[in-house]
Amino acid sequence: MKPFKLKLIYPKWQKLRGQTTFNLPPHGPVAFAATLPEWVDVSFTDENVEAIDFDEECDGVALSMMLSTQVKRGWEIADEYHKRGKLVMAGGISTMLHAEEMVNHVDCVFLGEAEGRMDEVMTDWVNGKMRKFYNYMGNLPPIESVGPCRRDLYKRELYNHKGVQMVDLFHASRGCRFSCYPCAVSYLGGRKFRPRPIDKVVEDMAGIENNRLFIVDNSLAQNKEWEKELFTAIAPLKKKWISHTIEDDPEVLDLAAKAGAWYVYQAVYDTSDYIKERVKRYHDYGIGVEGTILLGLDNQTEDDIKRLIDFLGEIDLDLAEFTVMTPFPHTKGYDDLLRQGRIFDFDWNHYNAGQVVFQPKHMSPERLQELYDYAWKSFYASESQEQKMFRLFCNVALREMEEGTYRPRDRRLANKSFGHDVVRNIKHAVV
Amino acid sequence: MKVSPVYYDEIFNFKGEWDMPSACGLKIRTLNGKPCVIVTELYQDNPGTSVTYAGRKLAEQICQAKGLDINDIVYLECNPDTNSKLSFYDEEFFAVDFDADLQHRYRQLEKCEVIKISDK
Repeated sequence: MKPFKLKLIYPKWQKLRGQTTFNLPPHGPVAFAATLPEWVDVSFTDENVEAIDFDEECDGVALSMMLSTQVKRGWEIADEYHKRGKLVMAGGISTMLHAEEMVNHVDCVFLGEAEGRMDEVMTDWVNGKMRKFYNYMGNLPPIESVGPCRRDLYKRELYNHKGVQMVDLFHASRGCRFSCYPCAVSYLGGRKFRPRPIDKVVEDMAGIENNRLFIVDNSLAQNKEWEKELFTAIAPLKKKWISHTIEDDPEVLDLAAKAGAWYVYQAVYDTSDYIKERVKRYHDYGIGVEGTILLGLDNQTEDDIKRLIDFLGEIDLDLAEFTVMTPFPHTKGYDDLLRQGRIFDFDWNHYNAGQVVFQPKHMSPERLQELYDYAWKSFYASESQEQKMFRLFCNVALREMEEGTYRPRDRRLANKSFGHDVVRNIKHAVV
Repeated sequence: MKVSPVYYDEIFNFKGEWDMPSACGLKIRTLNGKPCVIVTELYQDNPGTSVTYAGRKLAEQICQAKGLDINDIVYLECNPDTNSKLSFYDEEFFAVDFDADLQHRYRQLEKCEVIKISDK
């Protein structure tokens, strides 16, 4: 087969105001790239860290999109390439969530997971027979077919902040057996937990040069035995990693800590002793906690939100991330608010989980927006987000030093942040 | 988050968004002389599209399967009580009006209306 030059693009989106911006190397595009036939030559641009050269030579364009806030930019990019006579394919999470509109902007919409499908799609493309839809929703590939990502496509220096390499994203499973109110993962990846075979996970993880990872699985706490097996198997790799929730079980937490758990994202949804103890139990095992706090649910009054924010100060979180309830399509939240006629904004650029797009039950949208801003300010009043992150970073660096896996920062990039020149803050340059 | 079988007489398998295999609980009763179709969201036991997102597409498939006229039915969506401590998983019924041009119109049923159709 004649080589086909594919331009793969991850569109940019507007980052949330007031928050420290970090650009992590995106996972979706390189997972997709790994499924392409060998005769497809990929050139990757993450528009969040570099500009697109629309005149770069290519035979076709693929847009990989994860967030709702990326889709409109994706459509603009497609328009630019159409002016140059190029066909554009779109795939990824937000393509699936917004497929009805996507089809009006691109030449091919790929729905589902790409493993085992791209030979057909790309062969159709080069033969001029590309279809408008390739629909593999509900027809998920065997989880065993998920292989290592094409991390060679990353321009590493663009994911570096003052000499510190950002974590690599990694997935050990797909699908989710939970049906959480604001989440669409079970619609996208299936309502069954689909763990990857442990040997594949270990092989994949071992092949990543980066010592620090973010295991992006929705929740690792879905199958205790698999979780224990996973942590036992990856411990010898001595990676340090971030993840979502880990099973609340002493044995699992102990294994996670030994396997390199650095910190976890833990939902803080009420002010109960259970939450307080849950956070403490992570800390008891040396695992940091970033609380994820969703504001604007129907069971929250203004007072509830203020009480929740006060409560965060009592539970010793290492970091906190606040979001406002956002009715993403194919979630129960969307269904409920749509039925009740409470969604007033369907501009997907505003679906960034930091902007109120619906009528809250117990307050005005403006008041919820104020409380959201207040939450960020309040939590980081005494110590900034960057300072708290730096403390977590020191923790992991110390653990790596003890284990002999610490890699000093890249001094050549000490004055760069995600490809841009910066002035270093010397008081933070200890490690 | 298992849905109690008291909410349905049968599981109705349907083609959801992008023909995804999907399932809902189904009950058909008579209300004010009209067939009353009650579709219940099954959450974790629905592998595909929700009843709300499927909307008219689901109603059409039910009417075709059961020999009903979509213009002559009362169509209700049910969020079943799942014994969750979260209030958004409480029981709710919505009457759906498919006459609306672009978006369906929904009206939440009052408790007294729910009792009328309830035989749990």
